[in-house]
Amino acid sequence: MTFLERTTDPRRLRHWEGTLEADYIYTSGLAGERFFTALRDDGRILASRCDACDLAYLPPRLFCERCFAELAAYDDVPATGRVEAVTVAHADRSGRPLPEPEAWALVSFRGIHGGLLHRLLVPAGKARAGLAVRPRIRPRAMRTGTIADIEGFEPA
Amino acid sequence: MTARIKRWPGVELGAADLYEGKVTQTRFRPDAKYAWSAGEAMSRFLEELQRGRFIARTCTGCDRILFPPRMFCEACFRPTDEWRYIQDTGTIETFSISYLDRDAKRITDPILVGVVSLDGASPKMGLMHYFAEMTKEEIRIGMRVKAVWRPPEERRGSVLDVRYFRPLREGEG
Repeated sequence: MTFLERTTDPRRLRHWEGTLEADYIYTSGLAGERFFTALRDDGRILASRCDACDLAYLPPRLFCERCFAELAAYDDVPATGRVEAVTVAHADRSGRPLPEPEAWALVSFRGIHGGLLHRLLVPAGKARAGLAVRPRIRPRAMRTGTIADIEGFEPA
Repeated sequence: MTARIKRWPGVELGAADLYEGKVTQTRFRPDAKYAWSAGEAMSRFLEELQRGRFIARTCTGCDRILFPPRMFCEACFRPTDEWRYIQDTGTIETFSISYLDRDAKRITDPILVGVVSLDGASPKMGLMHYFAEMTKEEIRIGMRVKAVWRPPEERRGSVLDVRYFRPLREGEG
């Protein structure tokens, strides 16, 4: 054992294994609440708007990040968005390999600051930036007020 | 300053509001696991306890026998050199007559705990443990003691593989 040797595999030695409880509940916040209830109840995607700055935010923000005004106005985003960037995932959230690679996209809407990161419902080989897409919203009975109420984005 | 603000913006939420789904929320349970290792020296130390022995590390830089063992000499700033078995007899360095048990619960029959330096290791090197087969009137600093080991099948590779230290008997050590 020298200065540079390190124990990189604790299981090689006498060790203890365990799990850390780190459960959390994250609430959406005021603007997030508007966004998710509109998505759940009406299948709409809302952006908040600042008239003074002529800016709209997606996901909606409670405050304008330019002028710090509290935002009360909400608009539907346009029916069609645009893929800004794509990622092809070969592993799921836990790092396990996926049977088929999945395409993920950052989708933006004309005139709106921000966008949504979501599944791109095309074969991974066909995923590319610039694609015109529209959201595929799950049926009302399946919606629970989370981002998964959107199944993904499909070619418009 | 905050005393002047009568009403804070926002929505007050209690646990019931969250569990009843009054507001939209994301729930997550991270799959957070750990494996904590005792390290090179302490792992060998614990394994040797299971075999009913105490093991130390020698340092040729300062000619000490380090117990509990460590892979690095803090005095010489260099890696230690060799493994060395030491005896399971020693001398009480310090002790407490404790009217609290391990869970800090009050007890009427006190337990005896303290530090024992072990024969074969450098002076003052040893471990903290229980003392028994002696009364609180009999225990004293400098008392010669010997480890009482659990039977091999009960040992777990833990410092509790030694049940306690008892007084050294006539003719021992």
